[in-house]
Amino acid sequence: MASEGATLGEQEPARGRGGWEARRRRVPYWLMLPAAIFLLILLVIPLFILVYTSLQSGGVFSGDFAFTWNFSNYTDQLGQYQEQMLRSVVYAGLTTLLALLLAYPMTYWIAFYGGRWKTSILLLILLPFFVSFVIRTVQWRFLLGDQGLIFGPLKDLGLLPDSFRVLATPLAVIAGMTYNYLPFTALPLYVALERIDERLVEAAKDLYSSRYEAFRHVVWPLSLPGVFAAFLLTFVPATGDYVNASVLGGTNTTMIGNIIQEKFLQELNYPEAAALSVILMIVMLILASIYAKVLGTEDSALAAGATGA
Amino acid sequence: MSEREDRQTMDSALQRAMGSRFSRRTVLKGAGMGAAGFSLAAFMAACGGDGGGEGEGGASTGPAEVFSGEPGDTVEFANWPLYLDQAKDKDGNVFHPTLKLFKDETGIDVNYEPVIQSNEEFFGKLRPELQAGTQDDWDIIVITNGRQFNVLTANEWVYQLDPSLRPNFDSNATSFAKDPTYDEGNKYSMAWQGGFTSIAYDTTKVNGEITKLDDLANPDKVGQNSVFMLKSDMPDFVMINLGIDPATSGPEEWKEAAAWLQMQKESGTVRAYGAQEYIDEFVAGNTNATMAWSGDVLYYKVWLGYSDFEFIFPEGGALLWQDNMLVPVGAPNAPGAAQVMDWYFDPKIATMVTEWVLYLSPVKGVQERILKDGDGAVEDGYKGYATKLYNTANNEFAFPNEELLGQTQFGANVTTDEAAGEWDNIFLPISQG
Repeated sequence: MASEGATLGEQEPARGRGGWEARRRRVPYWLMLPAAIFLLILLVIPLFILVYTSLQSGGVFSGDFAFTWNFSNYTDQLGQYQEQMLRSVVYAGLTTLLALLLAYPMTYWIAFYGGRWKTSILLLILLPFFVSFVIRTVQWRFLLGDQGLIFGPLKDLGLLPDSFRVLATPLAVIAGMTYNYLPFTALPLYVALERIDERLVEAAKDLYSSRYEAFRHVVWPLSLPGVFAAFLLTFVPATGDYVNASVLGGTNTTMIGNIIQEKFLQELNYPEAAALSVILMIVMLILASIYAKVLGTEDSALAAGATGA
Repeated sequence: MSEREDRQTMDSALQRAMGSRFSRRTVLKGAGMGAAGFSLAAFMAACGGDGGGEGEGGASTGPAEVFSGEPGDTVEFANWPLYLDQAKDKDGNVFHPTLKLFKDETGIDVNYEPVIQSNEEFFGKLRPELQAGTQDDWDIIVITNGRQFNVLTANEWVYQLDPSLRPNFDSNATSFAKDPTYDEGNKYSMAWQGGFTSIAYDTTKVNGEITKLDDLANPDKVGQNSVFMLKSDMPDFVMINLGIDPATSGPEEWKEAAAWLQMQKESGTVRAYGAQEYIDEFVAGNTNATMAWSGDVLYYKVWLGYSDFEFIFPEGGALLWQDNMLVPVGAPNAPGAAQVMDWYFDPKIATMVTEWVLYLSPVKGVQERILKDGDGAVEDGYKGYATKLYNTANNEFAFPNEELLGQTQFGANVTTDEAAGEWDNIFLPISQG
């Protein structure tokens, strides 16, 4: 940058202007600096430590973990926890799908028909999330209890068999996750839908498209960037989630996040916990890249093309 | 404060304390949530593990040196929430009567902090400092016998205690508090309070009585999806009930216990594997039978009138556990810590604690003193309070006789990385399936 400034200075007699130009060019870098430092300290360094730890061997009883390029931490875990990894991806996938199905009509309505209440309604969606994540999830246990507020009366009325239960099943875990991650789905969707120019829908109707066709060829393609972002923001954290499975799950609902947590806190096996975290991260990256490739939305026109508009 | 006023405040304190019996273990349902917070620190420590042996130097100084000398002015005491007697003075300020008496006698202030919500979490926070040899926050910490405890002693991250500095302990500690299998000769630890892990069930929901471990694997007895298993306690509990002494058990015995647990899982009776949330599930009626900690169930049964709840020892016996006072390496006031620890083995002091926390006391003579306090309360006209004291003193699980104690054992002692790995490989696949 400095040499560029100098070159400019040589070409132009007014050196001051060249210096200003150079400084102006540096501005974006200065603006990026806080974020870069933030990411360096809170992402890059911990990531390095994570990978470093994942290649260690040793144990807490001998007091020491030593860096030994211990790749068996990876190979062992890959073999041992395939089931839980697959389960996490399936649960998170279903969660994301459900959240999209719930959030899309809701945000669509807010964006197009919310009028001056838009912000207030959006706030209503977020309101439950002012309460702690754990407390919300624990409350679900009371609501969904076998004799709880919902199923207790239904069982008393004979509408449900006595053995019916939702808690401690995969359904409870997926439902809990859907509820907890709904805002991460709703907000990007809302932003995308809110930006759509309503006149485009009117134009489509003027051109004799039905409501459905207008939605399919205009609204849906234009909302795809939102869908894309919502998917990632929901799917990625949901895959690593462990609170819902431990609070709402039962036998055979353990997710990979629970395994990592137990390895870390109970087993005190930090290298294996780290290796498993790295594996999870790589799996996420691969899935997200495939997803981006299939539904890349850098250009929403392209996305529109993909849907056959 | 007159004795009467004291008793009144104790009365309300007692009631609050009753609520604490389970809250001590349930208060942080999301204890695991802390994981994200301190994972970095732990990773850093793990990273520095290569050269992190400095901390061990402190322990090699030996007990006599560390505990000799004049005690400092304050002792920093980390314990679990609601685990110490408590009262209010005239201005409404909460204080701990036993610590006030200690200060009156020794002049030492104890800064008592109920900061331990779970062994895992507290250990996770402390480990990096212990490993780096920079721990100087605490003089006394309280950890349950188990893996974290064993890691602390194996690495000499806690000081060896000076046996000459515990006359009260020598004369008054109960049989189970003295020379426990996890700390022979009380080299590192002295018990704070303890309890039992066994079976609780709802008599209206179970077919007949539960008398043996196998009942928990019998759907005709307990129903389908209706038993809650305590993940960390179940291996030991099952071993004890299979006639195996956990203290001398090895991988072969562990596999035997795991086979039983697998059989139980396949029987379809298990609803979930977990930890402290078991009591909520049980009270909500989601489970018919559950592995349980003695204090939790007794609180509901004896004090809240859940008369359908039953807490029993199955034929094979039950698991005994203790929370233990330890002096972490780097403790700034080890001599003071030793004085505090022995202070709580004075029966008079221990009685004040037990009347408040209602756990299994490691001190002899507490039961008699509580009964005497009950008589005193009757004389003074505090009948309600007296009843509570009598109920506490006469509870067999709060004051077990030799026969009942004979049916209990401490858990296995895993003390090497190899054994820990093997243990985890054998037992975790069952709950993690």
